[in-house]
Amino acid sequence: MIETDMSLEAALNAVLLADADALDSKDMQRWLDNYADEENASYFCRSAENSEHGLALGLMYDDCRARLEDRVTFVNDIWVGTFQDYRTRHFVQLTSYHRADTATLEMRSNFSVFMTPKDSGITQVLAAGQYLDSVRQQKNGGLKLLSRRAELDTSVLPRYLVYPI
Amino acid sequence: MTEMKLSWPKNYNEVPKEAFVREDIYAEEVKRIFHGTEWHPVAHESELPNAGDFKTYRLSGVPLLIGRDVEGVVRVFYNACSHRGNQLETAVMGNKTEFECPYHRWLFDSKGDLVGCPNPREFLPGFNKADYPLAQPRFDIFFGLVFVTLSSETEPLLAYLGDSQNTLRELLAGDGRLKLLGYQKVRYDTNWKSYTDNDGYHAPLLHQAFKMLNWQGGNGRQFTATKRGHICFESALSVATGPTVLKDKSLIEFKGQDPAVGSRIVSLFPTFVSTKHLDVINLRFATPIDAETVEVHYAYFAHQDDDEDMVRHRLRQSSNLLGPCGLISMEDASIFHRIHIGNHTPGSAIFQKGVHDPLKLESEFLQNDESGNLPRWEYYRSVMGFERATA
Repeated sequence: MIETDMSLEAALNAVLLADADALDSKDMQRWLDNYADEENASYFCRSAENSEHGLALGLMYDDCRARLEDRVTFVNDIWVGTFQDYRTRHFVQLTSYHRADTATLEMRSNFSVFMTPKDSGITQVLAAGQYLDSVRQQKNGGLKLLSRRAELDTSVLPRYLVYPI
Repeated sequence: MTEMKLSWPKNYNEVPKEAFVREDIYAEEVKRIFHGTEWHPVAHESELPNAGDFKTYRLSGVPLLIGRDVEGVVRVFYNACSHRGNQLETAVMGNKTEFECPYHRWLFDSKGDLVGCPNPREFLPGFNKADYPLAQPRFDIFFGLVFVTLSSETEPLLAYLGDSQNTLRELLAGDGRLKLLGYQKVRYDTNWKSYTDNDGYHAPLLHQAFKMLNWQGGNGRQFTATKRGHICFESALSVATGPTVLKDKSLIEFKGQDPAVGSRIVSLFPTFVSTKHLDVINLRFATPIDAETVEVHYAYFAHQDDDEDMVRHRLRQSSNLLGPCGLISMEDASIFHRIHIGNHTPGSAIFQKGVHDPLKLESEFLQNDESGNLPRWEYYRSVMGFERATA
């Protein structure tokens, strides 16, 4: 059970870091496991330009658990061997959070993602922005992402995306 | 004109790789092609649905302001103040009925007329605001698709489009009454010609997704139109029949009215690619940034008559299927980069599939033939003034 703000904040940070670590390790199963096992678990990645103008289109639009599972299939099975791979480093910083109901928390964080293509070896910024997350408290007290909206300040990507941001 | 030396092979199916990487050739392309006698799509009217809506765009560096005026008419201006040439509007899109230059406070209305400027008594004697509207390039509109040309000598738009008109109109839903869903924008590390050479043409061998979805295609028509070799594809879609690996099958579901021709692609010289695939309507506005970089704005649309469910379906399909992160196109993006690296080697890129005689150009092709690009290359060669070898 989470009893104090300090431990709650630490638990939320653990959710953020678990996602960053899974992505930077390219471990898509672990990325998926960080989401709640609910049918409407979701991940959206969208440019701030689209959201500011009320345009719902995303770079990734996974609005149900089935699509999250399909994204694991894209990366692990369908795209294997067809792209120039790149390393990423996610830097995340919790900026605010509040309790929405007994089982749900809302949090915001900033992110920046560096990428280093394996062939060129030159590091550059892939994207910056903020995560708008809903976090579900599990029966055992643990926390999982219910929904994540990655809102990118970056409106023109410097490269195609293989992995979620 | 500058004489550029480039030895162009005798065979129509060979393109010298130097053409993709030489800076002097790129500078000449900007003059002869991007500022020359070509029409360039820069927007679709549905990106500006309301009076006062505008979008800015740079056509190989030239800043444009495309706006819908207070009476609802779409107009294209150079995005530069008629006074000292300061960039007038910096936002990528928005809604304004007046544009004010912050430099000396010149104010323009949505029709481009200069309606205010402080202290005109200090200007040249006889200064008249009516002489200083925003300058405009030539533009024309085809089923809502806004084209610009920077030359006064370009033929009329319909003649320019020629036999690609029908496929393009059908791709624009038959009536051009589209509704904007949003953008995906990306820069590719590749020459603009490598992008256009490989975006419309989709190699089924590359697309693992096609194979996994039992989507081999091949059942369609590819033809070229006009001397510029605009490329049109029309193909029936055999939607996945075998066991699918996807848990959410709506990504490849077809709800549209057009099953006989589920897939259409129109690729216009020099850089425009548009596609209607399943229920995705996608216009790709592409422009070179330099010899080694092309920026592509993938704009996605619904139709104005779609009900809420259909808009939602198109949104879900458009976000995840095509484009720089899409299930069946992400690997294209990687090929753009790798082709550009490979083009820094000697010799020619050689087209094979669908070529019957290297000394002849054809205009009808099978869906997966790569020879459909060759009429465009012949036009490129002639515009650039490169001489084809005779032996």
